[in-house]
Amino acid sequence: MFFLTYLQRELRRRARQAVFIALGLALGVGLVVTVSAASAGVNKAQSKVLSTLYGVGTDVTVTGGNPGRPTGAQATPPPVVPGKSFSNILLSYAAVSASKAAQVAHLSGVSAAAGVLSFSDVSMTFGSGSNPPVVNSLTIDGVGTGRPSLGPLSGATLISGHAFTTADSDAAVAVVDSGYAASHSLKAGSAVSIDNVKYTVIGIVRQPQQGGTPTDVYIPLARAAEAVAAAGWGAQANDVNTIYVSAASAADVSAVSREISALLPGTTVTTASSLASEVTGSLSTASKLINDLGRWLSVLVLIAAFALAALLTMAAVARRAREFGTLKAIGWRSRRIIAQVLGESLALGVAGAAAGVGLGFAGAAIIAAFAPALPATVTQNDGSGVAQVQQASAGSSLSGTTSHVVSVVLHPSVTIGVIVLAVVLAVAGGLLAGVLGSWRISQLRPADALARVA
Amino acid sequence: MYKLTGVTKLYHKGRRVVPAVRDLNLTIEDGGWLAVQGRTGSGKSTLLNLLGGLDRATEGSIKLDGTDLGTLREEPLTRLRAGSVGFVFQTFNLVATLSAAENVEAALIPLGVGHSARRERVAAALEQVGLADRAAHLPSELSGGQQQRVAIARALVKEPKVLLADEPTGNLDEDTRNDIIALLERLWSDRGLTLVLITHDTAVARRAQRTGVMNKGRLTVGQTPAPPPGRPR
Repeated sequence: MFFLTYLQRELRRRARQAVFIALGLALGVGLVVTVSAASAGVNKAQSKVLSTLYGVGTDVTVTGGNPGRPTGAQATPPPVVPGKSFSNILLSYAAVSASKAAQVAHLSGVSAAAGVLSFSDVSMTFGSGSNPPVVNSLTIDGVGTGRPSLGPLSGATLISGHAFTTADSDAAVAVVDSGYAASHSLKAGSAVSIDNVKYTVIGIVRQPQQGGTPTDVYIPLARAAEAVAAAGWGAQANDVNTIYVSAASAADVSAVSREISALLPGTTVTTASSLASEVTGSLSTASKLINDLGRWLSVLVLIAAFALAALLTMAAVARRAREFGTLKAIGWRSRRIIAQVLGESLALGVAGAAAGVGLGFAGAAIIAAFAPALPATVTQNDGSGVAQVQQASAGSSLSGTTSHVVSVVLHPSVTIGVIVLAVVLAVAGGLLAGVLGSWRISQLRPADALARVA
Repeated sequence: MYKLTGVTKLYHKGRRVVPAVRDLNLTIEDGGWLAVQGRTGSGKSTLLNLLGGLDRATEGSIKLDGTDLGTLREEPLTRLRAGSVGFVFQTFNLVATLSAAENVEAALIPLGVGHSARRERVAAALEQVGLADRAAHLPSELSGGQQQRVAIARALVKEPKVLLADEPTGNLDEDTRNDIIALLERLWSDRGLTLVLITHDTAVARRAQRTGVMNKGRLTVGQTPAPPPGRPR
């Protein structure tokens, strides 16, 4: 009780200095909270961008190697006949055998895996004279017909019709992206043609807003393998060329990644963290700014706040030499006086932490309210696309890289962990100041302290 | 009882060695009152610090009831100060942020006295120095004389055996000085305290049982003067 009374009176006496110290700590802590919140927001935005491209809950993505060239009719470029159309099935990545793909799901540290066969159906009509050919491209994913917890449909919302059921595994049915459905006036019950085979549209889905260009049409995996095999790509039933893998825990991701590389040589294994490096543009710039400049600024302000608190506390202790000398003279142990000073510093640290967390929330709210939407460019290696067709027809090498520019709104989030960190930092700052002040007290001999002012 | 044998205290100022107290031999009986006079810098305050265990002698021994203060470690010395020695300073040395009662209470904190017992003893101590009605006042709200009374209450609330007063009237006007000395005299008489009082004021010194004069670190103690009329002994 006496301890608290003394503490409170002392802080009230030097209220201006106390407020100054607490505000200094609050500023440093507030900056840490704001930067951490913004950083979390950027990371969340990045993972959101990536999840729309690579699927919700996906920790590791495996894609086959270069698909090479098909055999049979598609192996040679078609003759250029004005007005004549032809259709081509282009595989995004080389197929991985079904048996190998199935082994991925049983690797240690893997909680789930889903295989997809991605390809495109590109039709081209040659123009007459010097007119360029008219190209239409349809992107297709062959997916499992079970409940999609992973893969391209995992983040999609069904807006009409129904999703695949296990009964659809070998049926000529399709689920169509809402954008493609709108541009081609498709609805549930309509038909969509893939390499001259008709598929009945059973559902329309909408992919999340952020992310790249969604796949146009989803069909059962077995049907996809048939279409690809018929085009001379040599895929067997249930072969896939993309595997979406969910790790049991974040700590397992790198081990899982290594295991898959060993199991499936020649494939490209990509983790979520490596995908993040593929995000460029303003979002990436913001991420770098926050992670580099913001973090260092926070550290500098914290150091300044700690130094300020320490210097002011030491100055206050020096001013109170007579007081502490008197207390020692009347029998107070140094420990007791040190506890009193540490208590005062701790109180300032706690006040600084509370104010800092408040400032941090305010900073995060300001960012959320005023930060402009950040464009993010995501480079996706799809191994196909119009570019490939155009270049293939011209006899050049295959490209297969597409970029998607998406606009991301930052939503900074203050987590419990950040709040705990902020409180620990402020209290540590206060205690550091108290310890330095206390060191002076422990060195103070009562006779010297009294003589200094006598 | 204090017994000082061959006490010397040297201070080092750069390369210079300054003797503050030289070869001091002195006995102060229990219940005795010694007033020490001397010029500024003569070593009076150093002597008081040595007696109170606030400083250690360079040579010689200072024994309080047979305990050599020079051989005590910091912890037991602090305990001894807390229980047996009361200090009164010229500048009162009250904690500015604490009320009169809390300043007095501060002396009981190291003794581990319970809260309610503390309050009772603080009230009694303030009553004895005539400040019961000023208990809640801050030092800044009290006159110099009242502040010194609070300091005396703080020194005596723990019922020490020894009271060491360093120029307790040095900052007070004449009337207040007389009041404070009368108070100290009464408390000394009532409680059987051993009182060592440093003063510049001969009028104050003459009221003590014995007087001593410090000069360049040496103490010369005079004969016990005849008590003035009505003076308790």
